[in-house]
Amino acid sequence: MRDFHLLAQAVMNGDIKAAVAQTQAALDAGADVQELIDRGLIAAMDEVGEKFSKGLLFVPQMLRAAKTMQECMKLLQPLIKEGEVTSKGKVLIGTVKGDLHDIGKNLVSMMLEGAGFAITDLGVDVHPDKFVQKTQEIEPDIVAMSALLSTTMPAMPATIEALTRAGLRDRVKVMIGGAPVTMKYAQEINADSYAPDAGSAVTEAKKLLGID
Amino acid sequence: MKDSSEQQHVKKKRSIAAPASRKYKTRYVWLNVLPDDLWLKVRQGDTIRDALKKADVELEDECGGLGKCGKCKVKILSAVGPPSKQEMELLDEEELKQGVRLACRTKVTKDLVIQIGETDATTDYYQILKTGHRPLLHPNPLISKRLITLPPELQHEGLSDLDRIKLVMVPEYQSMKASLHCLRHLPDMLRKTEFSGAAVLHDSELLAWQFWDEVNCHYGLVFDIGTSTLVGKLISLIDGVEVAVVSCLNSQIKYGTNVISRLQYLRQHAHTLDYLHNLLVRDLNRITGRLLKAADLEPDDIFVAVAAGNTTMQHFLLNLDPSAIAEAPFTPVFTDGLVVKAAEVGLTLHPEAVLYVMPTRSGYIGGDLISVILASGAFEQEDEIVLGLDLGTNGEVFLGNRRRLMTCSAAAGPAFEGATISRGMIARAGAIESVRVENGTLQYQVIGNISPKGICGSGLVELVAVLLQAGIVTPEGLIHPSDTASGELNARLIDRSGVYDFLVASAEESYDHRPICLTQKDVRELQLAKGAIAAGIRTLMDEMGIGPQDVQRVYLAGALGNYVSPRSAARIGLLPGLNPESITSLGNAASTGASMVLLSKYYWQMANDLADFLEHIELSSRVDFNEYFVEHLDFSASQPDWIPQEQLTLTEHGASVE
Repeated sequence: MRDFHLLAQAVMNGDIKAAVAQTQAALDAGADVQELIDRGLIAAMDEVGEKFSKGLLFVPQMLRAAKTMQECMKLLQPLIKEGEVTSKGKVLIGTVKGDLHDIGKNLVSMMLEGAGFAITDLGVDVHPDKFVQKTQEIEPDIVAMSALLSTTMPAMPATIEALTRAGLRDRVKVMIGGAPVTMKYAQEINADSYAPDAGSAVTEAKKLLGID
Repeated sequence: MKDSSEQQHVKKKRSIAAPASRKYKTRYVWLNVLPDDLWLKVRQGDTIRDALKKADVELEDECGGLGKCGKCKVKILSAVGPPSKQEMELLDEEELKQGVRLACRTKVTKDLVIQIGETDATTDYYQILKTGHRPLLHPNPLISKRLITLPPELQHEGLSDLDRIKLVMVPEYQSMKASLHCLRHLPDMLRKTEFSGAAVLHDSELLAWQFWDEVNCHYGLVFDIGTSTLVGKLISLIDGVEVAVVSCLNSQIKYGTNVISRLQYLRQHAHTLDYLHNLLVRDLNRITGRLLKAADLEPDDIFVAVAAGNTTMQHFLLNLDPSAIAEAPFTPVFTDGLVVKAAEVGLTLHPEAVLYVMPTRSGYIGGDLISVILASGAFEQEDEIVLGLDLGTNGEVFLGNRRRLMTCSAAAGPAFEGATISRGMIARAGAIESVRVENGTLQYQVIGNISPKGICGSGLVELVAVLLQAGIVTPEGLIHPSDTASGELNARLIDRSGVYDFLVASAEESYDHRPICLTQKDVRELQLAKGAIAAGIRTLMDEMGIGPQDVQRVYLAGALGNYVSPRSAARIGLLPGLNPESITSLGNAASTGASMVLLSKYYWQMANDLADFLEHIELSSRVDFNEYFVEHLDFSASQPDWIPQEQLTLTEHGASVE
């Protein structure tokens, strides 16, 4: 077993230079790409997410860590053969109709991506039909919705309803989040999961898909 | 029916223990509310919050009954069931033990006695900005009074009463009109005044004919209609002097403390527009009553009022449906400045009185901001570039001058008003409003000089500024022990498994015997709020093609703007790169702007021109705004490199002293 501690530390600190150097060094020493990603990069991002949930890290630090991970991935991408490294699952994400806020949603995307999920981001002000259409097209494992306003929250049950009508509800897990959203609300509208912040979104997504 | 229910009421009052609900097929139970000893008949299963709202009882709730904010606390004196999960999260052990529950989570299933509010009544006053400043230029009030004597020869010609007045007043009143109400009283008043009286004029309309000496009784009102607070001013139309000022909380606050939650309430409850409108008008009439009493005037003495509020509140005032402002594309019913009969709105003034409602730019750039810009004078010159901030729930920013003027609304969230902060509160009695460090010891000042109940926006900003200076809050916003801070400050840190709280006031010091802490999450909330404002400022500067050094004047308006020290604001990075020396507080600039309109048609015209001229930059969909937002979340980004370092350094005496 190799020690990816230094790499993980560099990613957590958002130190791109050090992280890239560590990645290169590990590759030169013959490290397995999959192991490097899982135990180095993803492990680091998991810890970042956990610290973020506690308030020990904030958005800029989280973004820097995610960026650092992306830079390391650039080094690894050419070495990954088709089908060799698999994603943890497909997530379709968007801010609901009538709502233009996207920072929280973007953070969730980034953290999920950092944790090894494949993300399709529909952006903001996404009509329920758009969610349905894209769900049919890419067949995600999880549909994630964000709403920052209590006035736009009702677009969440509307979207779930649209998924149900299209016969897709059973094929996806629905995860919701955003400042006014609560666990109780998620239960009321029959969402499968609620994530209070970007860090917990990763944990929740894994739970939904039975990972770890 | 009514009688029998009242009898029930009286009967029930004797013994609350008797199971009354069984007698009702409809299943009603009684809720006895102390200390007012209110008896409410409640449908079994309704929440306490529903019952209190229905009865118009004041209750704090920022989340609108979602069980998130934990502020709608009531003490249940009857036997009480186990708390819900949310209550266990939001209330502390001591509170749960004492029977404190959340009104929105507690259903009334049997007769209950509850206690709301504080047990011992201290004078509760609200710190609402009442004063503003601005010397009067271009006097030309919206209403004028002219002394007129109809010559005897005119009295004998076969002319109508109205035509006789017109003849004396030509040329500009050639086409003068008069309302039916005015005409009804005209013949009588002309003869009572022996054809020598004061004509009350609004544009080219005769509103009334008064006695000669009433020319000196010439007043108007302005209303600053805030989402949470209302301010009314009585102003002399002769010399512009503020005769009386009255403020109160907006009664609508029970239905959501911010615009969004109030719109939410409106959308979820059919037919509540009339109700919310009436609630507001009732408040304004109460304010009017108190203003008039202060100056010994009658409603009939007032012929004009000017109202300025955010777009949503102006809709409520006019009983227009603001629902569509709640979500993209944020469509208001109207944006033009309106002149309506005050009586049509329900205001108790002279029956012919006119109400001016300020123009707005959009759903989120309201008449209040137009008034603030008017008061800043930014639109009256083109030599200096002016930046203004109106810091409420939404942080409105404007930048420019007569050449180009732009504005944006940065969703700062309600942190500056104390919501979303664990022990946050609005600036009222008991709020810690300023903080400093003296000889290494933390000192704070409380509004009303009582034991602290919480911390308001200005206190929060100053606290974090002081802690940044001490190194206890890092530039990244982390609360942690500092080598450079005094032992007294470090000793205030409470370790909660690696996450620190900073103790501001201990349980012994505080009003409710619960410690007042700044939590790590509170710092994050402040970072979000100030990041949004700073990013809004940066985005506007980019649009204008200027940098911070090109801004000659910075104005802060709104409650926070008046009480927070410019240096603390600069220290936390609210004003990226701007020189604290260029910052001035405008006080209650919204009412100052409205007063300017009241006293001069010139400014009414200017307000309307301004609203048309103003460029609104929509931030939420902009990539650059989001980038700036992230950049300005850290406190470190706040160090302006072109300002001499000594100007930024806070003294040992902390941030609040000027």
